[in-house]
Amino acid sequence: MKDRNYTHSIQIDPDRCTGCSHCMRVCSTQAIRIMGGYARIQPERCVDCGECFRVCPQRAIYAKDDGLGTLPPENYKIALVPSVFIGQFPSEYSATQVLSAVKQVGFDEVFEVEQAVDFMKEAYQAVAQQNPSHPLISSYCPAVVRLIQVQYPSLTGQIMRLKAPHDIAALYLRRSKEKEGLYPEKLSIYYVTPCAAKTVAARAPVGEEKSPINGTVNMTAVYNKASKILYGFKKPGLHKTFANMRPDSVNWSLSGTEKKYFPGRGLAIDGMDNVIEFLEKLESGHVSDIDFLEMRACDQGCAGGILCPGNRFLAVERLEHRQKRLQKLKDADNGRVRNPLMEYEKILHTMSGVDPVYPRDGLLLDEDMEKALIKLQRIERLRTYFPGFDCGACGAPGCRNLAEDIVQGKASISHCVFVQRVMEKNYKLSPDQAFVVIEKIWGKGRLDKYVDKV
Amino acid sequence: MKDQLKIEHHIEGSNFSAAGSASSEVKKTLKQFNISPLLLRRIAIALYEAEMNVVAHACRGVMSVDIQPFCIHVVVEDEGPGIEDIEKAMEEGFSTATEEVRQMGFGAGMGLPNIKKNSDEMTLTSIPGVGTRLEFIVNI
Repeated sequence: MKDRNYTHSIQIDPDRCTGCSHCMRVCSTQAIRIMGGYARIQPERCVDCGECFRVCPQRAIYAKDDGLGTLPPENYKIALVPSVFIGQFPSEYSATQVLSAVKQVGFDEVFEVEQAVDFMKEAYQAVAQQNPSHPLISSYCPAVVRLIQVQYPSLTGQIMRLKAPHDIAALYLRRSKEKEGLYPEKLSIYYVTPCAAKTVAARAPVGEEKSPINGTVNMTAVYNKASKILYGFKKPGLHKTFANMRPDSVNWSLSGTEKKYFPGRGLAIDGMDNVIEFLEKLESGHVSDIDFLEMRACDQGCAGGILCPGNRFLAVERLEHRQKRLQKLKDADNGRVRNPLMEYEKILHTMSGVDPVYPRDGLLLDEDMEKALIKLQRIERLRTYFPGFDCGACGAPGCRNLAEDIVQGKASISHCVFVQRVMEKNYKLSPDQAFVVIEKIWGKGRLDKYVDKV
Repeated sequence: MKDQLKIEHHIEGSNFSAAGSASSEVKKTLKQFNISPLLLRRIAIALYEAEMNVVAHACRGVMSVDIQPFCIHVVVEDEGPGIEDIEKAMEEGFSTATEEVRQMGFGAGMGLPNIKKNSDEMTLTSIPGVGTRLEFIVNI
């Protein structure tokens, strides 16, 4: 079975893109090509990790969300806010204050996603008891899940079949609001997302029919509005008087907390390159005796999300402080945690599973084995014509990628500037034709003087 | 020559830091084919174990992978000490790996049994003092 649902959040604005190819060079899955003067994403390969977003000098790459503008005014609107959002502000603003500022942005209620982590901890124990094949890979980071689908098809069976905390939080809210007499269709739950991948997870969930979340709003947009409100608060911040979740739950989205809650030996790996390096090893059967892998595409976990406006290390520090504060509250309350979500624990257990995750065919040359073999032979032959130092002047990130594109009918051998010279020497290509090829890739006028373009 | 493709990779003996690169490269190629994830996993493991055997025991070797429409045919030939007793070598837990190699986490005596388990046909021949030839086939 194959997964062919390629909805993406990461988009390129052709009006802003100058085809500088920075994005193409950093893409971990070689999903970007330059054509017609600007970058284009191949949907079957993109995993929405957002590495391209980070390097774009033109800010031409954006994360498409549903946006605040799509909030239905007549509905009861709930914002699901991840703890890293609170980490974007200095410690003098209490979590309660930050959340109330988010509410004033245009919501009727605000719910901190990490409250659902208390449930996740219990769910992990339950999953471990079912004796799954080891190691189990966390399903928390949607970019990692998609990376495995595209690049590590043989590991899709290792992905934990559990919903993410924001889904659990949304399920809880739907249940509890229905109990209060609110019609399900009158409820709009929006997730304030720290990254593009989470938007995709809400829009095109893997292993779920439909996400319990109605939409996403980029954290940057909420930050801009909420910080104005927050900095306008005159009175010192109100504080919570009890712990509404277990203290270390606030750090779940960072690196290193999640793994502690799966029994046995676990590793926490963050950063796209590190994740890739480890998955390579794992796929070869090189790693043994590990029970659980916590993986985050971003360095420092969600604190390093592409839509987090603040510094990731400051955000981590802030959340550590918050954990200590919650611990104090918990201790003062005789060790009690008052998390209303946990009253629904039983019912949530029945709803928290997802279907198996299937590979995507982003790397596939051809469904048919024989045709694929012929294509691979052609690729190997083509590669002997290319210089092999991946200059990117053909609009593909590497010589191998150009060869692949050629056999798939997406490029031609004359796209290689070195092959062009050879062809010119042999009178197979005129300088004018070579010029046309370059303009086809890099855009009209690209070979004119550069002064105006810098 | 049509409908098949041969890939060759050289393996350096005792270079543990580079170990796994040959099988990793082959694995990358195989992902471009419509091979089921489970089968891909089996091939990947067999390739890796075969490569590690050369790294751990031999001076140098060559891994050649022949991709055909219905099977993957792998031959790993090495120059090295060879295997004295092939039957014994196939036993689970038997290993002639040195203490140093074991300390690095290899030499548990599971390599050859693992290759056998993950392949459909396997032949192992060796001339002691000269080298070893391992051949295995995984049907697609």
